[in-house]
Amino acid sequence: MKRSRTTALLLMSTAPLLFTACQKEESVQVQEGLYTSVEACSEATGDPSACRTAFAAAQQQAADAAPKYASKEECAKEYPAEQCVQQHTSAGTSFIGPMMMGFFMSQMLNGGRAGAVAAPPAAQPAFKDNANGWAKPAGTGGMNTASGIGAGKAGLAPVSSEPNRAVTASRGGFGARSGSRTTVGG
Amino acid sequence: MRRVAIAERSNWRARAAEAGFRFHTIDGAPYWDETAYYAFTLRQIENDLEDPSAELHAMALDLVGDVVASEELMERLAIPAPFRDWIAESWRRRDPHLYGRLDFAYDGNGPARLYELNYDTPTSLYEASFFQWQWLEDQRNRGALPQQADQFNSLHEALVERFAELSAQLPPPLYFSAVGASEEDQGTVAYLRDCAAQAGLHGAAIAIEDIGLSADGRFTDLDDVVIGSLFKLYPLEDLMREEFGAALPGSGVRLLEPAWKAVLSNKGILPLLWQRYRGHPNLLEAHFDDGSALPAGWVRKPLHSREGANVAMHMSDGRWQESEGPYAGPCIVQAFHPLPAFDGNYPLVGSWVVGDRACGIGVREDDSCITRDSARFLPHAIVDDAPAGNTRIYV
Repeated sequence: MKRSRTTALLLMSTAPLLFTACQKEESVQVQEGLYTSVEACSEATGDPSACRTAFAAAQQQAADAAPKYASKEECAKEYPAEQCVQQHTSAGTSFIGPMMMGFFMSQMLNGGRAGAVAAPPAAQPAFKDNANGWAKPAGTGGMNTASGIGAGKAGLAPVSSEPNRAVTASRGGFGARSGSRTTVGG
Repeated sequence: MRRVAIAERSNWRARAAEAGFRFHTIDGAPYWDETAYYAFTLRQIENDLEDPSAELHAMALDLVGDVVASEELMERLAIPAPFRDWIAESWRRRDPHLYGRLDFAYDGNGPARLYELNYDTPTSLYEASFFQWQWLEDQRNRGALPQQADQFNSLHEALVERFAELSAQLPPPLYFSAVGASEEDQGTVAYLRDCAAQAGLHGAAIAIEDIGLSADGRFTDLDDVVIGSLFKLYPLEDLMREEFGAALPGSGVRLLEPAWKAVLSNKGILPLLWQRYRGHPNLLEAHFDDGSALPAGWVRKPLHSREGANVAMHMSDGRWQESEGPYAGPCIVQAFHPLPAFDGNYPLVGSWVVGDRACGIGVREDDSCITRDSARFLPHAIVDDAPAGNTRIYV
């Protein structure tokens, strides 16, 4: 077969679909946050059950996703020494790495629609380095079962829970050349 | 390859409305046209379109490193000097790319000939990926096409997969942008944003003219949030030359398509391909235009031109055909190779590459052998044993 097995529209479609969180564009919102505890998460989101699920899922991934070092000294160069402990990946490989210090949760909000089944939240472990920088596994899976020792923080992506803001000085500096063309594409 | 008349689905306008397809009719003229379809054999698809697309894509990407390492070649491609390091750096980092479209003249026999690469702002994606797919399903279900009819179109799956790969590489937050007033471009961007969301990558929408610039040179949305990654359905060469363009290299924004696509969305890549792969069966002979009179059998195209604008064709029999448009500047010349005619319609095959995978086609036909923005999109099917339809007429 040379064609897609299936196609779907999540945001564009006006027809009812099988997705749970795909009513109208306006109602699809994503809540994301970095939390240091289930309590902090519950307070911020008002959804203790999702927070517990996310915490457990993050903890399960933590050892596989953690930066891996051969010794406590190497680990302590990047992470606080007291966080550097011996761990085992799901494949059984032993390594020294930082403990999970928080978790990242991303949840689609369904606008409180009755009858809508809430999708489980996406969760990832988060680690806090010597510079107080938070990082979570790069990529969506985060399952790194190869030994990975020596790669250090390479598999992590920094997290900033607050959006980066900058005061806008001017607008309208793009788009002038579009002129009267109906499309700028080709 | 045949052009086969077929009854329209009686409900296709309703199908379009429920799927957010708003530009199926443009200025009162049909754009989506399902009164006929193009039938291909599997051999034609795989040997003549899919494999050559993958090969040409690899050949083109192979050239990027050489171009960005050479001041002389960057000059040849009219890439402005202040942006050359930025473009070279985006290639050295291998900033990820999403998609591109190769346009072919193809009549079902012999090699498909590459007209050009649309590697920066290709459109006609939604109709190829989604609406064409739905047409095939509907026509199979109502028995107008045989059950085994297929389509070269795994675009939707490829796009969702590609966005999943990109999610780890694009600094958040991600925005999808196009000209606010262009319904067609907004439709294409809405579809891409939809595919990204299906991959778990959530992006916001912003009109290209609403983008702001902060005093310290970063791009912002209407709420002063700094834009981390920007999908822009807007030509790189225009962005560079507009008021905010000078801020691009220092802004830290990650573009999709990335800056290095300025090398491939440029018709100068065609003579460079010819220089390296002279005589390749899918390439048309091409050279940089030296300004001399255009001999018969040659076509002149500006380095930057879209939708078939500003093309001059001096046909082998001495006739001329020229299209108007807003583009000027340096040109290339390319050997004249006419589009085939099917009942007076001239189809151009757009072959899609998502990531690095050739994964589908869309056919647009026009009433003349220059495919303009007035072209109509016709669906296609892979039907190996369909009854004989219209035969091709040579002009």
